[in-house]
Amino acid sequence: MSIEAINEQLLRSVGVGIALFHRDQLKLEFFNKVFESWFEDCSEGESISSVFPTLEIDNMLKRVEADGQYSTELKFKKKRRTIVVAQVFSEAVIGTQRLLVLECQNITRIRELESMIESYSSMVERNARSLQREKDQVEKLLLNIMPRAAYEEYRDFGVVAPQRLESVSVLVLGFVNFDENVEKLPPATLVSELNELYSSFDRIGEQLECERIRSTGGSYRCMAGMQDSDMDHLQAVATAATRFVRYLNRRNESADTLWLCRIGIGSGSVVGSVVGNQKYVYDIFGRAVNAAIKARSLARDMEVLIHDQSQPKLDGSMRPTEPQSSDARKEGLVALIEA
Amino acid sequence: MAAQSLYEKYGGFGKLNKIVMAFYDRLLDSDDLGPYFDEIDMSRLIDHQTKFIASQLGGPASFTDEQLGKAHASLSVTHSHFDELKRILQTTLSEHGFEEHDSDLVMDAVESKRAVIVQGVV
Repeated sequence: MSIEAINEQLLRSVGVGIALFHRDQLKLEFFNKVFESWFEDCSEGESISSVFPTLEIDNMLKRVEADGQYSTELKFKKKRRTIVVAQVFSEAVIGTQRLLVLECQNITRIRELESMIESYSSMVERNARSLQREKDQVEKLLLNIMPRAAYEEYRDFGVVAPQRLESVSVLVLGFVNFDENVEKLPPATLVSELNELYSSFDRIGEQLECERIRSTGGSYRCMAGMQDSDMDHLQAVATAATRFVRYLNRRNESADTLWLCRIGIGSGSVVGSVVGNQKYVYDIFGRAVNAAIKARSLARDMEVLIHDQSQPKLDGSMRPTEPQSSDARKEGLVALIEA
Repeated sequence: MAAQSLYEKYGGFGKLNKIVMAFYDRLLDSDDLGPYFDEIDMSRLIDHQTKFIASQLGGPASFTDEQLGKAHASLSVTHSHFDELKRILQTTLSEHGFEEHDSDLVMDAVESKRAVIVQGVV
């Protein structure tokens, strides 16, 4: 068998579609069985434009001339299946004859799989977005019931180890007329009022690095110094307390419902921990909390009380005065008011 | 702990893609159902089938009845065509190693969609 015959046999039997076109006349000279299985109606002598009506012939010839080859994809329906064929045109010279060689590969399955992966990716991305939304909601809920540092410990390790905080300051606020307002207001209005009040306290506290520990009905507790014991935590909660009072006074001037508070401040050590296995509550216990509760119990309406020995270095925004009640004076408490 | 879905049990996307491709091939080759897909774009059809099969197996997709109804509204799907689709899916699942019990669960899930896929059944 001659080399030419072997070559022809090889071209006929390879698994890719092969077609040869006369380079100058652009007529089909040869095609193998694989090529024929896709382009059943083609025949020798047929022009390239008739075999591939959508092919940009001038562009193809230009690219073959310049780059040595031209690649494109052809998509067509066979029965009802979309077939995608990758085509590579190149030039070959056999003896004195110049030929355009076309190599075709069926990449239908690759394209089908790409479509599937694209579809699957979009599903996964949508799910990931929805999971992230849920995660954000859970984080928001947990941050409502525990400080960020405790939440981060819980998120990373699954538990929050009880922790002794040697030096923090605690603010305890109680609404004097809470029960009265509960009786008087419709439930939705009451909840909306409390939302507004506690959200405002949170915003004020956030500016001063005070973190809400809990709010239950008519009482609100926050603390400073948990993450940074070197900060002036007493100054921070004292400033927060006087601003809470200022905020309520201003609000009471125009709001339909009056809210009167009493505030106590305490400093010292506390133990902080999540309490409960199924229903998590972050809580703090200890000297600072007891001192704040005691001070609050002796405060009069819209008064902020603090133990004399723990008076913060006043920064000019507030000043100490005598408490209104003699019991508070006997206990060595002082009242703080805005300067 | 949440129960494992069939999607997870049978290997997730690694397996799903083979099931979808086999199901797709069979549908196109079916003399009864193939004509429904004559004019439908390949990527759209594969997208639909990937989501459909993933959702029936408890994977990361969910089709609302409204979406399914809308997708089939103009196709005039008959009961016998729906039965043929179920038969093809069951054969495909069986060929991909689904236990009979699991395959039945999928069939029940598909059956529950008959009313929204077959035209005229509400």
